[in-house]
Amino acid sequence: MVFPTIEFAIFFPIVLALSWALMKRQWAWKPFILAASYVFYSAANPLFCLLIGALTLSNQAAAKLIHRSDDDRYRKRVVVAAVVLDLGTLGVFKYYGFFATETNGLLDKVGLGLPLPLAAIALPVGISFIVFQAISYAVDVYRRQIEPASTIDFGLYLSFFPHLVAGPIVRAKEFIPQLARPRDPAKVAVGAGVFLIVIGLVKKVAIADFLAREIVDPVFGVPQAYSAPDVLLASYAYAVQIFCDFSGYTDIAIGLALLMGFVFPQNFDRPYRARTFREFWRRWHMTLSRFLRDFLYIPLGGNRGGKLKTARNLMLTMVLGGLWHGAAWGFVLWGFIHGAALVIENVFRERMRWSPPGWLKWAIVFHIVVLAWIPFRAPDLDLAATFVSRLADWGPATLWSVPVVGVVALVIGLQLLPNKPLDAMRVSFERLHPAALGASMAVVIVLVTATISSQGVPPFIYFQF
Amino acid sequence: MSDKNPFILDRPTGRSLRARDAIACVFVAVLMLLVVKGQSIRSEGEKMDSGIERAVVLAVGHPAGWAADRIGLGDDVDRLTASLSPDDELSGPGGFDETAATGSSSKAVAPVTQDAFDPAALGEKPARLDKLNTLVATGDSLVQPLDVELARRLAPDGVKTLRDARLGTGISKSDLLDWGRLAVSQVRKQTPDAVVFFLGANEGFPFEAAGGKVVGCCGPAWAAQYATRARQMMQTYRQDADARVYWLLLPMPRDPDRQTIARAVNAAIIAAAQPYRAQVRVIDMAAVFTPGGRYRASMPVGGRATIVREPDGIHLNKAGSKVAADIVIGRLKSDFESLR
Repeated sequence: MVFPTIEFAIFFPIVLALSWALMKRQWAWKPFILAASYVFYSAANPLFCLLIGALTLSNQAAAKLIHRSDDDRYRKRVVVAAVVLDLGTLGVFKYYGFFATETNGLLDKVGLGLPLPLAAIALPVGISFIVFQAISYAVDVYRRQIEPASTIDFGLYLSFFPHLVAGPIVRAKEFIPQLARPRDPAKVAVGAGVFLIVIGLVKKVAIADFLAREIVDPVFGVPQAYSAPDVLLASYAYAVQIFCDFSGYTDIAIGLALLMGFVFPQNFDRPYRARTFREFWRRWHMTLSRFLRDFLYIPLGGNRGGKLKTARNLMLTMVLGGLWHGAAWGFVLWGFIHGAALVIENVFRERMRWSPPGWLKWAIVFHIVVLAWIPFRAPDLDLAATFVSRLADWGPATLWSVPVVGVVALVIGLQLLPNKPLDAMRVSFERLHPAALGASMAVVIVLVTATISSQGVPPFIYFQF
Repeated sequence: MSDKNPFILDRPTGRSLRARDAIACVFVAVLMLLVVKGQSIRSEGEKMDSGIERAVVLAVGHPAGWAADRIGLGDDVDRLTASLSPDDELSGPGGFDETAATGSSSKAVAPVTQDAFDPAALGEKPARLDKLNTLVATGDSLVQPLDVELARRLAPDGVKTLRDARLGTGISKSDLLDWGRLAVSQVRKQTPDAVVFFLGANEGFPFEAAGGKVVGCCGPAWAAQYATRARQMMQTYRQDADARVYWLLLPMPRDPDRQTIARAVNAAIIAAAQPYRAQVRVIDMAAVFTPGGRYRASMPVGGRATIVREPDGIHLNKAGSKVAADIVIGRLKSDFESLR
């Protein structure tokens, strides 16, 4: 089920009303929300619910075993087994086809006719997010940062529908404590929730889908047909599209959770205003960068052990982070560019006495980020190379229009502004009467749905990850 | 990457309301949407595939659409927001809903009938005819010695093969023989269950079009004239769907000038057969004997390189005719029960 659809517009009000009606009776509320979340997920494919169920039971069993034991070696073996199982699940569903194809190609080149069997395996929606959250639970129990939750609480943590398919990646220690007691019906951030839902809808439907339709999809599909002005604008437009698409989803997810009384972590904080790559990763997909830091970069050694090891750890973290997005060389290259940028940035920071002006640092970081999105978006590396090569072919601007250029400039420009005016707008909105909030939401939905093409709402980009 | 935790789990700074305010807010929004978008919900539901989701959406959409119809706000809202739609405005003429109404106007297209579809191509079992009693193998010199081969091999099945080769004739050469009239005559005399037609060694003559204008080979205008005549013959041979027609495309001849003619003839036959795919089988001999449009005198037959063309570079020789007969008989077998 996708958020901006009629099905979800029917599903959510019913679930919201019943959720608050049952809130004081936790024995009924928890199974109800668990069932609602599975219904939400089953809209994609009911069989995928079995997968979440299996991940829930296996990680819960591992957490219980880890918690019961004082033997460190045993605890370590169990947590390693749990992580291997989780990553194995991810590997089978997400990477097997890629691995088999690439391996077969390699074997063929060296003359070894031992092809691996190719299998078309359906990718469960949001599998990467679900697996990461399962890992965070098992590892946090192993690290004694949390105690194992009840099975139903852990099941709810993994499947809670607002964050089920595309995050944010909520850590077990952030969510499970919120299940310890009923949410307070006298303290619901209604205004903030509605504001985020409204902003998220505008970002996704009115901006991201508009840019995809008008410039990004045509140019990235057949870059040979366009010259530098269109290709340049398409690369900026994709940077805006993916931000609005993904942060729009996150805004809606956080807003829905707020209406249900839950708080999710922030995932974006105006990333295109970053002046360093380190800052970019504190602003972009914050819950993923936090996960990679805590579960990959630091266990690899982090910045302990010298400059070379730090560089190696950064590169490994970013390349694997790229690969997390999907089984394709474009994602690997995207991760490599970011990893290399972080390493080079560290070297410059340590060795350069002169610091460039802020605007120059921003321009460099922003344009490398935009460049890195090209292999991320392009269907394959050949087309990514073609896309970049078209930047040298100056010709007519066929796709430039006032709305497209205006939207791209507006979204990037708003990120460069201070937060105050936007915060003031949010606070004014939050002060509205509940009926006025509802009416405002309806008006925005009507306006936003008017911009939907007859093809419907495309899925969120991050659903495929 | 910093060791400092950049993560912020902050409760929003705005004021808190009660849970019932949250529900009220959402239900106000839902109520407004039902009033102004009720018809859209209903129509979206009707477009969905059958299943639980469709049933749920329609359970809401039908009453919401009914209410929205009576309140009438939806149309006003749609008008006000129409300029935001990325879809093209399609209110002009030419819609499918006008097809029936304007069926007789000069701009109307001829209706496509079910005869235009070969059921096998749609994955359906073709309507098979019971018995092949009479087969007419006709055409110009190209049909020889294919006609003999067919007669010989179909005889054990009780098929009477009438060989009617008209040497030196052509569809574009009607001063010598009018194939339109001959086809009618063949059908009237023999009422064949199947007709195998292979002709094209003598084509490329100009047509006289309407107004006395002469149309020379081999452009679209010539191909259109040729296709019209071929279609007329196909209509005759198929006998209102009672018979099957096997019309063979020309294998490329060796001579480049003749290749130009053969390409035009083949294109015209394919176009001509479109309305009658259910009964007219266009058998592509060009793909078999001259793949890629390149002439070749020999090809592998039964694993051995075999000469399949006559030295003239036009006709099939005996071995080539056997190959063609295999293909034609294969198609006959799929159309007639008695040959299985």
